[in-house]
Amino acid sequence: MSRPEPAEEEPRRHTAAGLLLVLSFAAVLTAALVGIPREHAALPPIARYALVTSLPKWRLTEPVNEVVYGTRGFDTFGETFLLFAAVMSVIVIARHRESRHGYFGEQSAGLREQAKADPAEGATADESAARRAERAERAAAASQTPDDTPLGAPAPEQAEAMTVVVRTAVRLVAPVLAVAGCYLAAWGYSPGGGFPGGAIMVGVLLLVYAAFGRLMIARIVRPGLLETLEVAGAAVIIGTELLGLVLRGSFSANWLPLAPPQTIRSGGIIQLFSAGEFVEVGTGLAIVIFSLLTMRHDWTPDEQPQPEEYRG
Amino acid sequence: MIVANYLTAAAVFCAGLYTVLTRRNLIKIVMGLSLMEAATYLLMVSLAYRADSTAPVLLNPPRGQSPQQLAEGNVADPVLQNFCLTAIVIGVAVTAVFLSVVVRIAQHYRTLDADQVRELRG
Repeated sequence: MSRPEPAEEEPRRHTAAGLLLVLSFAAVLTAALVGIPREHAALPPIARYALVTSLPKWRLTEPVNEVVYGTRGFDTFGETFLLFAAVMSVIVIARHRESRHGYFGEQSAGLREQAKADPAEGATADESAARRAERAERAAAASQTPDDTPLGAPAPEQAEAMTVVVRTAVRLVAPVLAVAGCYLAAWGYSPGGGFPGGAIMVGVLLLVYAAFGRLMIARIVRPGLLETLEVAGAAVIIGTELLGLVLRGSFSANWLPLAPPQTIRSGGIIQLFSAGEFVEVGTGLAIVIFSLLTMRHDWTPDEQPQPEEYRG
Repeated sequence: MIVANYLTAAAVFCAGLYTVLTRRNLIKIVMGLSLMEAATYLLMVSLAYRADSTAPVLLNPPRGQSPQQLAEGNVADPVLQNFCLTAIVIGVAVTAVFLSVVVRIAQHYRTLDADQVRELRG
């Protein structure tokens, strides 16, 4: 019964030259990496500076966050706008021909009308029977929420949501994960910060999408909302950094009163920057993922076979 | 023996480079780029490591040290950990842009083979 799978034709080019180049590069890389400082070397001065100034200058017990949003805040500032530029590029590349209000749904909005028979024409007995069967099949899958669908309903291939087991597990896990994401960003004096927090929020969104289908997240995952939030996060970051220039005379200087260590507000502008980054990363990744998921082929028309005489 | 980590990073980087140079499938080229990014994460986190050190967190310092003693003492490098965090986000952004371009190429040329995409078409 089991047939051997046909060997895959894997197109490659310049295998020998590529191997030669890579091997010589590997030799250079190895020579370089063997010579760099190892685990017994002293910390570089910049790392020591970050560690020593973290608590007195910023009242922060987490030097990594102090480096990310404080000492090397300008670095993170540039990187944020690299992410911003990437998100904008994906939006531009993945955009649809017509403007849309949602990532999903508008292509399926007309399906019901399309499925109806032309009223002027009437339907034959065969057609009516087929449509009755289709309606009965769709009725199970097209209920308002996946939980209304009776267990063991027909047409699993039309189901938007996953099984009741997955749905229950996601119901239990999603709130915990969402709180954990906010916690990572808010408790900035312990390891965490806006980047991992935002990534966790995207994970929660994807879990809910996978388990319940698009209807569950349709109110949140809209380009209008996500893109506004994304730009608002970027505006918070720009404002935080620029106010340092205006009030304290240097870009990304701290202008907020420092709260005592190990409180939510310890770190001054670091927490504000981190919150902006939380929104920026969370919405940016969500925009990128849902733009990629809903990229449809509506730019280039299907290729028409050209008549012989027009070929170049 | 952290040098083993350095050499593993070099090997992973070279595997990614070889993929980018010799494969013609665009998705696999993007995968090769992701491998090269992952190699830099490994290298940076390994470079931050110090023998017998503790994490650069001044919260609840171990063995009865004060936070200030810990800041002067033997801890891992926080700057390289910051670089790694930054690199991960940039890696995600770059991969997303590449993948969306690949999807458009596939839709336009009906192929993922980089060699077929050379000709200019309207």
